[in-house]
Amino acid sequence: MELTTAASRKKEGRGWAWKGLSGFGKLLLTAYAVLTLYPLYWLFISAFKTNEDFFRHPYALPHVWMKENISRAWELGKMGRAMMNSTLVTVAAVILTLLLGILAGYVLSRFEFKLKKLVMGLFLVGLLIPIHSTLVPLFLMMKKIGLLDTYGALILPYTAFELPITIFLAIGFMASIPREIEEAAMIDGSGWWRIFGRIIFPLCTPIVATISILAFLRFWNDFSFALVFINSQSLKTLPLSLSLFSDGFGTDYSLTMGAMAIAVIPTIIIYLILQDQIMKGMVAGSIKG
Amino acid sequence: MSTALKSKGFIALALLPALILFLVFVIIPIFWSAYYGFFEWKGLGTAKFIGFGNYNEIIHDRIFWNALLNNLLLVASAIVGQIPVALLLALVLLRNSLFSKFIRSAVFMPMVLSTVVVGLIWGYIYHPQFGLANFILKEIGLGSWTRAWLSEPHINMLAITIPINWSNIGPYMVIYIAALQNIPSEIGDAAEVDGARGWRKLIYVTLPIIWSTVIVTLVLCISGSLKAFDHVIVMTNGGPAHTTELLATYMYNNTFHVYRYGYGSAVSTVIMLVSALLIAVNYAVTKRRSA
Amino acid sequence: MKPVRKIGLLLLLMTFILAACGDSGSDSQTADQSGGKSSGEKVKLSIWHNFAGDDLRAKTVRGIIEQFAKDNPDIELDAQAIPPDGYRQRLSTVAAGNELPNIFFVYAGSHSAEMYKAGLLQPVTEIAEQHKDWKEKFLPGAFDPYEFEDNQIYTAPIGMSATSILYYNTALFQKYNVKVPETWDELMTAVKVFNENKLTPIALGNKAPWVAQSTILGTLADHVTGTEWFRNAAAQKDAKFTDPQFVEALGYFKQLVDNKAFQDGANSIDNTQAEQYFIQGNAAMMISGAWTLTNLAASASEEQLKDIDVTVMPSIPGGKGEAKTISGGAGGGMALSKRTEGATKEAALKLIYAISGPEAQKAIAESNSMVMYDTDIDQSKVSSLYYKAFNLVKKTAITPVYDAYLTADAAEVINNGLQEIMTGASPESIAKKLQDAQARSITP
Repeated sequence: MELTTAASRKKEGRGWAWKGLSGFGKLLLTAYAVLTLYPLYWLFISAFKTNEDFFRHPYALPHVWMKENISRAWELGKMGRAMMNSTLVTVAAVILTLLLGILAGYVLSRFEFKLKKLVMGLFLVGLLIPIHSTLVPLFLMMKKIGLLDTYGALILPYTAFELPITIFLAIGFMASIPREIEEAAMIDGSGWWRIFGRIIFPLCTPIVATISILAFLRFWNDFSFALVFINSQSLKTLPLSLSLFSDGFGTDYSLTMGAMAIAVIPTIIIYLILQDQIMKGMVAGSIKG
Repeated sequence: MSTALKSKGFIALALLPALILFLVFVIIPIFWSAYYGFFEWKGLGTAKFIGFGNYNEIIHDRIFWNALLNNLLLVASAIVGQIPVALLLALVLLRNSLFSKFIRSAVFMPMVLSTVVVGLIWGYIYHPQFGLANFILKEIGLGSWTRAWLSEPHINMLAITIPINWSNIGPYMVIYIAALQNIPSEIGDAAEVDGARGWRKLIYVTLPIIWSTVIVTLVLCISGSLKAFDHVIVMTNGGPAHTTELLATYMYNNTFHVYRYGYGSAVSTVIMLVSALLIAVNYAVTKRRSA
Repeated sequence: MKPVRKIGLLLLLMTFILAACGDSGSDSQTADQSGGKSSGEKVKLSIWHNFAGDDLRAKTVRGIIEQFAKDNPDIELDAQAIPPDGYRQRLSTVAAGNELPNIFFVYAGSHSAEMYKAGLLQPVTEIAEQHKDWKEKFLPGAFDPYEFEDNQIYTAPIGMSATSILYYNTALFQKYNVKVPETWDELMTAVKVFNENKLTPIALGNKAPWVAQSTILGTLADHVTGTEWFRNAAAQKDAKFTDPQFVEALGYFKQLVDNKAFQDGANSIDNTQAEQYFIQGNAAMMISGAWTLTNLAASASEEQLKDIDVTVMPSIPGGKGEAKTISGGAGGGMALSKRTEGATKEAALKLIYAISGPEAQKAIAESNSMVMYDTDIDQSKVSSLYYKAFNLVKKTAITPVYDAYLTADAAEVINNGLQEIMTGASPESIAKKLQDAQARSITP
């Protein structure tokens, strides 16, 4: 049984795609794609404009290509260091989120136990809270345990706030993995850890990639936590560099756009890499157990 | 060792790290914040306990009710505008051709951009003088339809839902693709042999299989719309005159600008209660659907 | 043994993270509470401000602070430039945790007032005792927003907000043969002529809703009601915002709206966009603060700037207030946190003086940014428009800005109220809302 499932899974479920997009459909999709890609294009052309040019010809190509915008934004925003910090914090938090979240999601999707409803309810509550209302309590608490102004002051809350989404996505995904696979492994005498690590986790590649993308974006772009929980210049993350050039009375758009163009490149790369993982579906050898 | 015992140990060890981290960094602050909701506190200096005073004020606060309505509009528009479109795109783009790969990336791109950029570009599209929207309307002879999209009451909130939906379709599409990837293809083939094609196949075969994922996305959609914040802060700041105020922006404003920390905390507790209520309704409705 | 290895790995990771969190601790966080003079040790001093950007003024202030650090090797200075967008949020949060730095930038008005009320500030009056002429050189009224107690100065202002300068495009006024308005009727004529010629009379970017209040209403209302009345109404003594003179003032604002003085959708456009709309010749006038000088110096060409001139807002017929005034007052300044003591306090006062003393004020004034200080500027160092405005403001009487005297709550109400008037609300209803808010929030 599990063999046929595995074999058919290898086809990546493409049978579900709607076959034969008509020419009109393709045209429609292309138009939609242009609409969604335009802001990216706009960001990059705006990043090379002078302020005057930006306002005078908001949609045109730069009159003069201002490469200085990028280098000045990089320097002024201390973006080199910020990029390093953002990478470190984001990667650590994504890994932690995946490890804790998928494991918890697996338990909650497959086992029945006394406090399950309560645990699910708690995680659901976590989805509902706007993060800004937790700033002050979190600040006070982290001050007490001496966590402020460390990488941990970002990594741990990021992970904690991302866990509910991760867990619910994992549960939703695992619901469609047939239980027969585990039952077969059980008979082979595999323990739960082995089943999770050898069978379930590899089967989850698409959702792992999805969760990674969502988590990455949220951590990479977070402004509020980074603003409040970090004090040392040497620990500051990218979003703080992006908002340096606006003072409430006016905004230096050329530098702001320059900084944003720099910050968006890693996210695009990460997305493109992970997108392939989503489409890979099940890894071929995963069923070997 | 008995299997039952073994699985008990597994449950505890696998669940505890996540649960502890979550309790410490999310649940405790939530209750802490809810506790402030019972105080008149400026966020500075001493706090005064006033019981349900803040909640009583919320009930009579017209700005709050207007913000809640705006949020409900967002929820409705998100459920109609994000979920079906994302599912449709996922189905259409499930193939691994270069074309669908390109479109998939494109659809996701608004999400990659910072909200500031999205807000700025849509601000330009809606710009009353140089805006693309008005320009196009004039070109196609609908000059009388031109508007100051973001400042005219009644229209501006609707205008805001479009960029929000537009930028949130990507993640849901990706989630659906991941779910669809997981379905063995012979189920689909079998369905087709039975004569289920197109819409029928979608409704009777595909949807039931990924139903748990659909429910999850609905929950994400509702909770996300109720705490929506970024786009509105960038595009209108909740204005003019609170017409595009959302619960989260109202809470933020009270907390950090008007020095009514206690009131802001009470508002955020209400946001949570409303979300919980809507999600309960969602579960009730979807359960019946799947049964 | 694989499962065990997995758990081990997980636990290892968690301990690693927690350990990493623990060891660097929060010792670098803000103020050094001891403040005592432990022999041989450096004095630790922290300062937070929002001069983080790339504009001249921000660079100047940062330069002054850096110079101070160089000149005082015995002080270990932790200076933080915080993005202005998040400055209030950051300060409010750490204030709730009683973690304020020694010195921090505060805004005039409710921001500093609330800090004072919460007992987070201490006076910097000592600087005036140490440097006799320092205090005298401030312009009259400079300390008004910061004199929470008699004869005590709570903040050293380093900026001046002249909030209602009338900028106008001389080329457009000449082209359509319009007189630069000195009276209300002349303004309404100008509005009519420009509208007939499909030009926006007055550019306004009121997306951040304080703009119309700060730039237009303050001076307009002062012209109608007089300053005395406003001070009384703000204190809720013998005057109320529902008084007919204030309703009349709001009525004048409504007249501007009804006669289409502002471009369509002014409430969804930010200040920078409105400035650009004006400088590109789409609008004939703009009523804005001194910050527009700074912004234009950074983003407009000399060619664009040469057509722009500045004056005061027109007078109101029969108004009780003085004509030809500009609303304004001390801008933000450097405040001293209550917890700062001993050697740290000495160092802090020294730094505050360095940032707000004569040399610093001159340097700031020469970065195209006005100060509340008697200083002369070198014309060659500033933009021509700024020089014109600087001299205009210097010889003009200053009247209060509304939001510097209203409570945060009431300021929020009138800001939004003006937006409501722009979408059709009546002056009476807004006057009542403002009165309610001020009355409610001023009583402790």
